[in-house]
Amino acid sequence: MIVIRNASARRILRMVLPFVLIPAIVALGIFAVESQYHTLVSFLVAVCSILLFLCGFEKKKIGSRRLVIVAVMIALSVVGRMFPIIKPVTAFAVLSGMFLGSEAGFLVGSFSALISNFYFGQGPWTPFQMLAWGLIGFFAGILAFPLKRSRLFLYFYGILAAVLFSLLMDVWSAVWLAGEFLPSLYVAKLLTSLPHTALYAVSNVIFLILFAKPFSEKLGRIKIKYGV
Amino acid sequence: MTHLNPIVLFFYFAAAAGISMFSMNPVIQIFSLAGALSFFFLRNAGKRTGMHLPLFLLALLAALLNPLFQHNGATVLFVLNGNPVTKEACIYGAVTALMLLATLYWFRSFSELMTSDKILYLFGRISPKIALLLSMAMRYIPLFGAQLKKTAQTQKAMGYFKEDNAMDRIRGYMRVFSVTVTWALESGIVTADSMEARGYGEGKRSSFAVFRFYRKDGFYLMLIGALFLISVYGLATEAVAFQYYPTFGAQAPSFISTLTYIAYIMLAFLPTAAEAGEKIKWKYLQSKI
Repeated sequence: MIVIRNASARRILRMVLPFVLIPAIVALGIFAVESQYHTLVSFLVAVCSILLFLCGFEKKKIGSRRLVIVAVMIALSVVGRMFPIIKPVTAFAVLSGMFLGSEAGFLVGSFSALISNFYFGQGPWTPFQMLAWGLIGFFAGILAFPLKRSRLFLYFYGILAAVLFSLLMDVWSAVWLAGEFLPSLYVAKLLTSLPHTALYAVSNVIFLILFAKPFSEKLGRIKIKYGV
Repeated sequence: MTHLNPIVLFFYFAAAAGISMFSMNPVIQIFSLAGALSFFFLRNAGKRTGMHLPLFLLALLAALLNPLFQHNGATVLFVLNGNPVTKEACIYGAVTALMLLATLYWFRSFSELMTSDKILYLFGRISPKIALLLSMAMRYIPLFGAQLKKTAQTQKAMGYFKEDNAMDRIRGYMRVFSVTVTWALESGIVTADSMEARGYGEGKRSSFAVFRFYRKDGFYLMLIGALFLISVYGLATEAVAFQYYPTFGAQAPSFISTLTYIAYIMLAFLPTAAEAGEKIKWKYLQSKI
């Protein structure tokens, strides 16, 4: 574990993880091992992908101001997850990705999942939540320009994020419940979680409507005032 | 068990729950569940009684779902809506349910033992920067809670919002939230500047931890590692393989399979034994006073 402090080891990991290890695990899951091992395969893929992002984070030089702002955003979204029923975690991940870059979006999404699960209960689902929320923030960073320009596209992205979250999490819950991947069970799981997804999409849009303007002002102000 | 180094604890849970998740062997699942339950109840006897029912219901759901969606298997029990329900799928579903329940209880104990400071220590070994980010975020959570309360009280005392109609209340709380966010971002910058002024970013980062690696940790790590390797060897050579489809069947017992089972049973009951040993020692020392 200590090896990753070494810069060259990290560079190798960054190449090995996405191009060798993750495809190898997936291929192994499809062709080599029997269907009963799908739970472990999907679990390993989730852990590896998170590791990949963390390697990149350590390598890049991130200013201390930026680091603290990311920590602040994580804390805010964890506090927000304590609200009943509707959860603003996605909105915070999206806004961080938009205004602070895709890496910040990934960190805010994934660490909000990790830290808030100290309160809600850690489980084998934690890496999946981390990955799902992290990716939502990450893609928001990539799409930052159109997201900032069009408010409508931002709300659409909020809905899309809810659908993506549900698609990814249901892969996990279907595999976990059955111990193997059954397409019919996956579809059934998607259908039964439809009300949940809808609620999630609505809450994403609500929070984006509420937060988009104030956060763009606040983060923009911080950026100009302190040059983050 | 609580006093072990977090690395050892993490490795133990990864090994015990990992083998349980990896193998669909009914014998291993039963012992995994027994080990997880005994450890959990030894630590939480009579506490948190409300949490068990949902877990068992979830396992029951998993046991029922599999035969409904999986139609492989040679022995058809009955036909439901034109789809055969087979004995093999029922057995598979039951084993899955055991696995699910065992994993859930392992994770309950995991989150109880691996408190946030221990997770932080583990992350610190991987990347000090991540550990710093995590620890800052965790410190901010109670800080923001307190600040939110303070702002709300101030605003209320100044007569900025009433709580008698819903719209006013929502608007009021939005303003409180907005004020707190601005405060949080600004004070974050102050923190960052203060860090930099004290030399953050100069030289290598290290992270402080109260945990040390004692000889006891080394002993446990070796024991867990040995048991883990034996179990994995047994699983890899398929000495303990079970066949579910088309018909249910087990491998004939052999020396390796017996060894694997013994190793896994020892692994599963290791925390229970350690915990019970500590309790007995505590009682014994108390009795001497």
